[in-house]
Amino acid sequence: MVVVGSGAGGGTTVRVLTEHGIKCALLEAGPMLNVGKEFKEHQMPYDVPHRGAEDGGAAYFGKGKPFGYFATTSGGWELDGEPYTVGAGSEFRWFRSRILGGRTNHYGRMSFRFSPYDFQPYSRDGLGFDWPVTYDEMSPWYDKAERFVGVTGANHNDLPSAPNGQFLKPPTPKVHELLVKKACDKMGVYCIPNRRAIVTEPMKGRIPCHYCGQCGRGCQTASAYSSSQVEIFPAMKSGKLTVFDNAMVREVLTDGNGKATGVVYIDKNTRREKVIRARAVVLAASACESARILLNSKTTEFPNGVANGSGVVGRFLMDTVGFGLSGYVPALEGMKHYNTDGFGGAHLYMPWWLWDKHNKLDFPRGYHIEIGGGYGLPGIGSFQGAARRAGYGQGIKDTARKEYGCSIGFAGRGEMIPNMHSYCEIDRNVVDRWGIPVLKFHFKWTDYEWKQARHMEKTFAEIITTMGGRVTGLSAAQREADGISTPGTIIHEVGTVRMGKDKRDSALNKYCQAHELKNLYVVDGGFFVSNPDKNPTLTINAFAWRAADHLAEEMRKGNV
Amino acid sequence: MSKSTSTRRDALRQIALALTAAGSAMELNAQQAEHVHSAAAADTKNGKYTAKVFNQHEWATLTRLSELVVPADARSGSAVEAGAPQFIDVLCSQNAELTVIFTGGISWFDAEMRKRAGKEFVAAAAAEQTAMLDAIVAAERTVREQSAEEGLFARAAQYKGFSGYTVKPGTDLAPGVFFFDWARKLIVDAYFTSPIGIKDVNYIGNQALSKYEVPQEAIDYAFNRSPFRIV
Repeated sequence: MVVVGSGAGGGTTVRVLTEHGIKCALLEAGPMLNVGKEFKEHQMPYDVPHRGAEDGGAAYFGKGKPFGYFATTSGGWELDGEPYTVGAGSEFRWFRSRILGGRTNHYGRMSFRFSPYDFQPYSRDGLGFDWPVTYDEMSPWYDKAERFVGVTGANHNDLPSAPNGQFLKPPTPKVHELLVKKACDKMGVYCIPNRRAIVTEPMKGRIPCHYCGQCGRGCQTASAYSSSQVEIFPAMKSGKLTVFDNAMVREVLTDGNGKATGVVYIDKNTRREKVIRARAVVLAASACESARILLNSKTTEFPNGVANGSGVVGRFLMDTVGFGLSGYVPALEGMKHYNTDGFGGAHLYMPWWLWDKHNKLDFPRGYHIEIGGGYGLPGIGSFQGAARRAGYGQGIKDTARKEYGCSIGFAGRGEMIPNMHSYCEIDRNVVDRWGIPVLKFHFKWTDYEWKQARHMEKTFAEIITTMGGRVTGLSAAQREADGISTPGTIIHEVGTVRMGKDKRDSALNKYCQAHELKNLYVVDGGFFVSNPDKNPTLTINAFAWRAADHLAEEMRKGNV
Repeated sequence: MSKSTSTRRDALRQIALALTAAGSAMELNAQQAEHVHSAAAADTKNGKYTAKVFNQHEWATLTRLSELVVPADARSGSAVEAGAPQFIDVLCSQNAELTVIFTGGISWFDAEMRKRAGKEFVAAAAAEQTAMLDAIVAAERTVREQSAEEGLFARAAQYKGFSGYTVKPGTDLAPGVFFFDWARKLIVDAYFTSPIGIKDVNYIGNQALSKYEVPQEAIDYAFNRSPFRIV
């Protein structure tokens, strides 16, 4: 068995397969994760001479690490020698992690299971496509994934946009969040305990969260889920798993007779091509990277790329619609400070509340709202606003002291409708430093997304003013020009190897198994048919688990 | 390597090892997590510093500027005590572009002060120094408003190519505005990322807690000041 990629999909796959007693090779395009070296969770800015500005003040020149020096991103929007291109008139930014565990080492851990209606969006409003599975089919897998990953939350029987699940106790809300909740109560917006992949009680060898609030830097105690610490390291101990790091996969090998036989990869350490043969191949390289591998695997049997008889591989690329607005809340001025770090993200969030009011809205799909605020750990840039307003002198201290912790931020995360103009393909003119043809992206938001973002804006402004604050974010004219996230930047890119009932318009069946090759599975965000306002990772955990069980069963039956 | 550094490394290694070893992570507890935090906090110590990039005059100017930008008051020390000149020197020693901004900027400050008071910036009286900074900050506000306006209209499609809003003349203080923006940026960051600055704003997180609580007193305070106040 060879598994390509070590994020949520690959990690889940190797854990489940090794538990079934199946031997696996796991290929990761970046290095092995060294938790002690890589995770800077407990450092203070003064622990390093550059205080987080990085060598030579790179952060001041826009050349610092994405999300800051202390974050454990190990990747970024641009990777040396691994370019991608963007079609004329399009904008797209592709975030890639290059380390064992991938983006799960630092992601936001928001863990929202889909709603029943999310699986049948086309049947509901005639847009996009239906999934080949129903919520009833997937609900037990979400249960398993939530119990394994460890997700906080609470059940609400009256809330179709946030179905009940298997939740750990959520942490108590912070002061600014209670004000937000009160404002939301007045507006008819639900504001409920957040669902994040962080254990708040001991679980399978993981100690509970110790509330240092630095989850984005990696969690040394693995209280916050990462596939590296929670799935892959234990699987390595089983003796059934071999990890090949710095292994950049170029293509899937096939036997000319409907079967995958292994993969070709470039060993980055030696820059030599190597082959791994396997009984089955599982791609979990990230939605776009898996599409790239398939499209680059062309044979006489698969002239459009392996598993791409339908031509959908690379198509229907989706990101999440993002919009943010911040405000200033005078009620918080002069409050006695307390530790607002909590479990590293907001303790409350607002699920979509207008699921039955779409006929009254000018956009078809929903969004949820994430909350930011509190006395954050000061870092590079934290008080520049105060400094510029005060000019210089005592006023800078006074302004910083007065305003610290009084800001609030809202981030909308909404569902995009898949469209024909948003896709990736192989750029035939460009190869990366490993000689592998790169991806070219095309992307377009439509009015569905723009109008949803305007609704976010109106709602956030109303929450801010309802809690007695004032909007401090963008000016009206700027919002007009920049009022929606740059495609790709929410890092929820999915949909490029989608599943479906019909092999003429999908690449995979409902088990993430290729229609055309029984021993090829794709278990990353590629299989998504739609991209509901539910951050994708938990759904990847659930489907990858189901796919791995399916694959093990198929092997047992002798079908693979 | 200092002792505290190796202690922290050891603690990190211990945790990493325990996590890697399946089944043994249960042995970890909140006290061990706390140990990592306190070991990390003990890491940094200030000693005598020798500038890598700046000469004595430049160093004195940077020190004075740091005091002016974030002065000491009854509650906390200045940006100098927070290590701002050292911070700038370290970054400049790794970045030629940044060095030019600072050495050039300091020279410009001296030239401007000679015009105003017949002496270098550090040699001028406090009132002369603040008068010059006031002029720069005032010029900065004009420049900022203007560029914000231009930027705003440049982005709006209907104003493409329209130059009616770029009528204000430039200022002779522009090089000073440019440099002071850099100097203030680094001085302020150095201050608020230092132990002094973090204590000043009273950040009390990034700690290992066995449970998370929100004080009722804080909730009552904010609610009583909000529109949700119960009258």
